[in-house]
Amino acid sequence: MSADLPAPSQARGVIGLVASACTSCMICVRECPTWCITLDSHTEQVDEPGARRPRSVNVLDAFAIDYGLCMYCGICVEVCPFEALFWSPEYEYSEVRIADLLHDKTRLGQWFETVPDFEPLEAGSEVKVKKVPR
Amino acid sequence: MDAPVAAGRYRLADDPEVCIVLASVGLACCALEVDSAIRTGVLVPERGATEARHTVLLVSGTVTDALAPAVVRIASQLPQPVSVVSFGACASTGGPYWDAPTVTKGIDQLLPVSTYVPGCPPRPEALVAALLGAVGAARP
Repeated sequence: MSADLPAPSQARGVIGLVASACTSCMICVRECPTWCITLDSHTEQVDEPGARRPRSVNVLDAFAIDYGLCMYCGICVEVCPFEALFWSPEYEYSEVRIADLLHDKTRLGQWFETVPDFEPLEAGSEVKVKKVPR
Repeated sequence: MDAPVAAGRYRLADDPEVCIVLASVGLACCALEVDSAIRTGVLVPERGATEARHTVLLVSGTVTDALAPAVVRIASQLPQPVSVVSFGACASTGGPYWDAPTVTKGIDQLLPVSTYVPGCPPRPEALVAALLGAVGAARP
């Protein structure tokens, strides 16, 4: 990042993913206006002692955002009901190969490491419910 | 049809040694970010007699099929070799218009692109970082 002009902390630079919070509900994928999110998952049965039947759990296999297509609208971040997506102000990820702009689950997890805390709101405004999980 | 093109010599604030000929084809809103890069001083217009060693064609904005031949014509008229920088989602893949019949799905279908800058629009600083990369790759 250029030292002279740091991006503001709320800037929409890149989206970070908390894979452990994602339940593969597909809401972000369906709401994305450019269809740039790819998600793949499978269901596993978890036996719990004392339960009448095994519990079905979605396991996230793949999650990728194509930053060649993304229009940075932030709808996926807004609609995620499980707080798995967050904006990071990082912007220096131009690529020589267009295919490298497809960022997979691992890369999106690395972007999450760069997500800053939300700035405090003005006095008297509604308390922000969403917090960056650390 | 002619594409709007603004050509000039610029220095990069992050690496003042580099002087480039920048032919900027501004076709949509991304062009404002290119303008912003000049106005905020991350791209400095070169007024001296320094000879530019690199030519960069900066395609920013939505390339339509009607305008695509004009962009290719500009690329052929520039001093060779030309590094093509695809600035923003529209120039790279068609972006939000990827399913529009009249939009070119990426300038790389017509010209070899040396750097793709992601963003909608990308930040002006991202442009400078990408230009440094493109120029670095073109260095012998």
